[in-house]
Amino acid sequence: MKLHRKSLLVALLASIAGSAFADINVGVVVSATGPAASLGIPEKNTFALMPASIGGEKVNYIILDDATDTTTAVKNTRKLLTEDKVDVIVGSSITPNSLAMIDVVAEAETPMISMAASAAIVDPVDAKRKWVFKTPQNDVQMSTALVEHMTNAGIKTVAFIGFADAYGEGWYREFSKIAEARKLQIVANERFNRADTSVTGQVLKIIAAKPDAILVAGAGTPAALPQKTLKEKGYKGAYYQTHGVANKDFLRVCGKDCEGTLLPAGPVLVAAQLPADNPIKKVAEDYVAKYEAAHGKGNTSTFGAHAWDAGLLLQNAIPVALKKAKPGSKEFKAALRDALEGLKNVTVSHGIVNMSAQDHLGFDQRARVMVKVENGDWKLIK
Amino acid sequence: MKSRAIVAVFVVLLALAPLALPEFYVTLLNYIGLYALVALGLVLLTGIGGLTSFGQAAFVGMGAYATAWLTTAANLPAWLAPLANPWGGLLAGLVLTALVALLLGALTLRLSGHYLPLGTIAWGISIYFLFGNLEFLGGHTGIGSIPPLSLAGLELRDGRQFYFLIWVVLLAAVWLTRNLLDSRSGRAIRALKGGVVMAEAMGVDTGRAKIVIFLIAALFACVSGWLYAHLQRFVNPTPFGLHVGIEYLFMAVIGGAAHVWGALVGATLITVLKQWLQDLLPQLFGATGNFEVIAFGLLMIFVLHRAREGLWPWLARLVPAAASRPASADFRGESLGRRPVPAVGTPLLEVKDAVKKFGGLVANDRMSLSVSAGEILALIGPNGAGKSTLFNLITGVDPPTSGAVQFLGQRVDGQSSRVIARKGMSRTFQHVRLLPAMSVLENVALGAHMRGRQGVPAAMLHLERNEESRLLAEAARQCERVGLADHIHDAAGSLPLGKQRIVEIARALAADPCLLLLDEPAAGLRFLEKQSLAELLRLLRAEGMGILLVEHDMEFVMDLADRVVVMEFGKKIAEGLPREVQSNPAVIEAYLGGVD
Amino acid sequence: MDLQIALLLGQDGIVNGAIYALLALALVLVFAVTRVIFIPQGEFVAYGALTLASFQTGQTPGTLWLLLAFGVAVTLIDAPASLRIGKGRFMRLLGWQIVYPFVITVLVLGTGAKDWPMLLQVVLALAIVVPLGPQLYRLAYQPIAEAPVLVLLIVSVAVHLALVGLGLLFFGAEGSRTPAFSETSIDIGGLTITGQSLWVVGASALLIVALYFFFEKSLYGKALRATAVNRAGARLMGISTTLAGKLTFLLAAAIGALSGVLIAPITTVYYDTGFLIGLKGFVGAIVGGLASYPVAAAGAVLVGLLESFSSFWASAFKEVIVFTLIIPVLVWRSLTTHHVEEDE
Repeated sequence: MKLHRKSLLVALLASIAGSAFADINVGVVVSATGPAASLGIPEKNTFALMPASIGGEKVNYIILDDATDTTTAVKNTRKLLTEDKVDVIVGSSITPNSLAMIDVVAEAETPMISMAASAAIVDPVDAKRKWVFKTPQNDVQMSTALVEHMTNAGIKTVAFIGFADAYGEGWYREFSKIAEARKLQIVANERFNRADTSVTGQVLKIIAAKPDAILVAGAGTPAALPQKTLKEKGYKGAYYQTHGVANKDFLRVCGKDCEGTLLPAGPVLVAAQLPADNPIKKVAEDYVAKYEAAHGKGNTSTFGAHAWDAGLLLQNAIPVALKKAKPGSKEFKAALRDALEGLKNVTVSHGIVNMSAQDHLGFDQRARVMVKVENGDWKLIK
Repeated sequence: MKSRAIVAVFVVLLALAPLALPEFYVTLLNYIGLYALVALGLVLLTGIGGLTSFGQAAFVGMGAYATAWLTTAANLPAWLAPLANPWGGLLAGLVLTALVALLLGALTLRLSGHYLPLGTIAWGISIYFLFGNLEFLGGHTGIGSIPPLSLAGLELRDGRQFYFLIWVVLLAAVWLTRNLLDSRSGRAIRALKGGVVMAEAMGVDTGRAKIVIFLIAALFACVSGWLYAHLQRFVNPTPFGLHVGIEYLFMAVIGGAAHVWGALVGATLITVLKQWLQDLLPQLFGATGNFEVIAFGLLMIFVLHRAREGLWPWLARLVPAAASRPASADFRGESLGRRPVPAVGTPLLEVKDAVKKFGGLVANDRMSLSVSAGEILALIGPNGAGKSTLFNLITGVDPPTSGAVQFLGQRVDGQSSRVIARKGMSRTFQHVRLLPAMSVLENVALGAHMRGRQGVPAAMLHLERNEESRLLAEAARQCERVGLADHIHDAAGSLPLGKQRIVEIARALAADPCLLLLDEPAAGLRFLEKQSLAELLRLLRAEGMGILLVEHDMEFVMDLADRVVVMEFGKKIAEGLPREVQSNPAVIEAYLGGVD
Repeated sequence: MDLQIALLLGQDGIVNGAIYALLALALVLVFAVTRVIFIPQGEFVAYGALTLASFQTGQTPGTLWLLLAFGVAVTLIDAPASLRIGKGRFMRLLGWQIVYPFVITVLVLGTGAKDWPMLLQVVLALAIVVPLGPQLYRLAYQPIAEAPVLVLLIVSVAVHLALVGLGLLFFGAEGSRTPAFSETSIDIGGLTITGQSLWVVGASALLIVALYFFFEKSLYGKALRATAVNRAGARLMGISTTLAGKLTFLLAAAIGALSGVLIAPITTVYYDTGFLIGLKGFVGAIVGGLASYPVAAAGAVLVGLLESFSSFWASAFKEVIVFTLIIPVLVWRSLTTHHVEEDE
């Protein structure tokens, strides 16, 4: 209660002092604890690296943790909107939380930039979703890249093993759709829990189905378990992972069992290996340098980069919106939404963004690359 | 009176809250209301009934998913079409939850001791993963775009509007629960924790009582889930997992698991604390780490160290205690129906060659005795002779290994104590089995349980006040009869042991038995008290009751009993008139040892 | 499914079951003496594993700071009473709670422990995590040792939340593995049995036997059990109930930390791994009626086997199958055990 009254007093004084000095408030909801912590923590860390002012106005980032729980995500969103009076919401880290937040932000007519994977968050753009944008590549795009690579490599059958949660479920949905279209046969569909100590049963079933390749749909170090078990049981086919494993810890835990693994990823993962004429290279390396300066060499996570991209989108859209309205007002939020929708050719660490009224993600095929694990590190291929 | 005034003020404040408070606080109050509803079920189930359940979150999920699916599914079968709206969803949810609760209850409520909590964890986890794996329920991604509730034409979209619905439902649930606990069924429920054997001997169907509270707790959870689905308008499995089930139990215990208002206190404290920590800790420690959960855990340990029974008892002490019961023993009511009294001399109880073995130990070795109406039979013998075992055999607490027990001409060996009690046999216990927190009057009223008829629904709506006042009047009469009229509102546990034994007798009498079994009723009584007790027993005998009495006080027994049976090492060694038995050499040897 | 696969699944089930059994045994142990359902047992496993992993990557494990912090807290709380008892007592208190953690800190910070031989690293990890057990007992449970089982359970939940939160803080969200003790593996008829899994199964078996004999046959064991049945009576018989509690928690922490060190090479351990394996160990412990070690271990192995086979048959429904099948087992156990009504 005391804090609330104090901030109320400050806000009152600030508003008396002159509305020209209104701060821009960005509300952030991330899953910094709970099962999605490996996504949320780098995202949370990234907000500390963002600029303190945009377009001449001070920016406040108010960060709340939703513990990977939808109820908490919605509660936090309501708090940010009604108590902290934010102009824009960034979050959450995972699909179910983001989907639950859509209703709230639409009612409050506030733009939202999600950092979660599913295309369903922004597609189709209807009365509610017109307020929602996202920065991670859709699972559709990543699946397409994977399937393409597989079919090009002559793979006919593939086994799928994914997390028993929204991530694995979403991946299976998209992957199986595209696989069917490209005549790629899925011979096994297994699930495992993040915290499982062993996946022997699933692996044995997969091996019995004799697939040409395996796709593991997990995020973070737990995705190493099926791969290590498969290697242990002697599987000799091709290993594919998803962009969820694009961090150093995965390589550390997986060790030599992951040599030769293929995965689609955002360009930021291999920023140093991008050709010099690629506009994404500069932006990506900038983020990597900043993050690694604060958190140690090699610790960049592509999830953190999604948060950085959200920041970049805001840095481009806010000045446009400032021309139309003052921060803290309803008009500003509408203007910000319009500005976000109107972004063209904005280079972010994961790609180049071209938003439109039907496309609130804005990526094209430059936003993903195929990466191979070589000598314990990421190597850009294609 | 005062406590009612406090409740009234509280309700008024609640009603004004959404008009005065900022929106987020109203949001918080909404969540508090939802959680408190589930915690209330847990108070009934765990705090009062002693059945620890971690699985309430699964029932919340059922209520939420039932309505979510019915209101959003595209291809509903035709017979479900009339239910495709929020109120239909509520009905479907309640029916589904009731069915599942009855099934799970039948399976797991039989589990004794520690097996039960694990059983609840087991199905809690199963149901959670079931939610996540069923495609038509949206899988792990969930179901969105749930339509809002409409109440009397008004769409409840706003948190402030929903607030009233949630709190009306919660307060109604609190009212229903309090009514339930303050009734005949309520006494049965309160006997579940620590008094099952005794309650069964008084004719209480404890198995049924367990199912009832389990069902009520599940239904409360279901309603909470339904409200949640229409408040948030998005459901996915995460709010219904085991960790949330644990949190509900947490709220109930912190708030005061054995107290109805404890649910509200617990829900409020936990929700507000989490919010407060979320605001405060980043200011203190910076945004680098996540300290909320740690601080939360530490604070909860601190609270439990200081308030083991939860916060409500501590809070209630701050408010000057109101007189919770009407001052005068003004319990008037027509008397309850009485059982026809058998004529004096009718054989009531016949035990023929009863044998009870515990492994290799023979506790009762072909014991036979008989008791007639209008007679007092004393059963005496040294410690360890098997007298209490014989009592348990006769009253159905333990079945005999072999042999026959006949009561009023019917075979009763092997039947449950509840059935036998219903036939007209009532007893007291060697180790006093009272419910210490309940008043003397209510303990005695428990004895009259079988003489009432009104069930749980009537109790919850307080439609059984007439019968209740008659039951309490009967209990007051029995208390007066045994000389406890001054103590009827005292907590039974606060009386000295001797008086507690008298309470047990009053309770046994309240059942209107024709055969009374008393296990050492005079132990711990002073001389004058023993005299009054003897007077009472003589009076009962004169009215035609049969009494089987176990006692060690020879003076008391010899003056009172018509016949005496002596046991030693499980066998009958003498029977006859008191004087005969006293001079029997075998009896003397058993008590005093032989002369070698 | 052919025989080969069945054997492989069976082997997997037994190894996992042995891991759960290690937890089940510790849970039965703690309950039998203190009536605490020790949910945080899994955290000791995670702490043990992750502390060892920290040494191997050259980082300072956060559990070290926890040891120091607990040491200070215990000293502050116990100092007045121990001073009253005598200088010797106070010196012992300081020695264990301040000097010992200080020495360990100096060792770790000074040498980094990265290049130490594996065995010494294990000993050091144990030296840090095991004392946390009795300290935790002193801080969280001793003040409410007589409380009803439900309150002790809720306190356990709170302790678990705090320890998991600390685990995330100390070790981050990503998991770790450690290299195996030995790279040996034996081939029997197509089955590959790794040396590490033999260590795990062997440790479980040894513990079952040791605990069974200790508690059933030895006087000390019976004395410890007496404190759970009747605290006042035990004290009247000269059994120190607080010492019993601390000893039990020391044993439990030792079993936990050792389990962690044993399983870290076979599976990735995360800051929250403890809860789920603790839960499965809990299932085993309950099957054993929270009283019998062999039956608890059998229950844990049953869970492991059920898991293994159902992850082959229908991996998405694995949890549903395992936990639904546990219910009949519970019903069976409940019917065959005589339950004593607990007086409040």
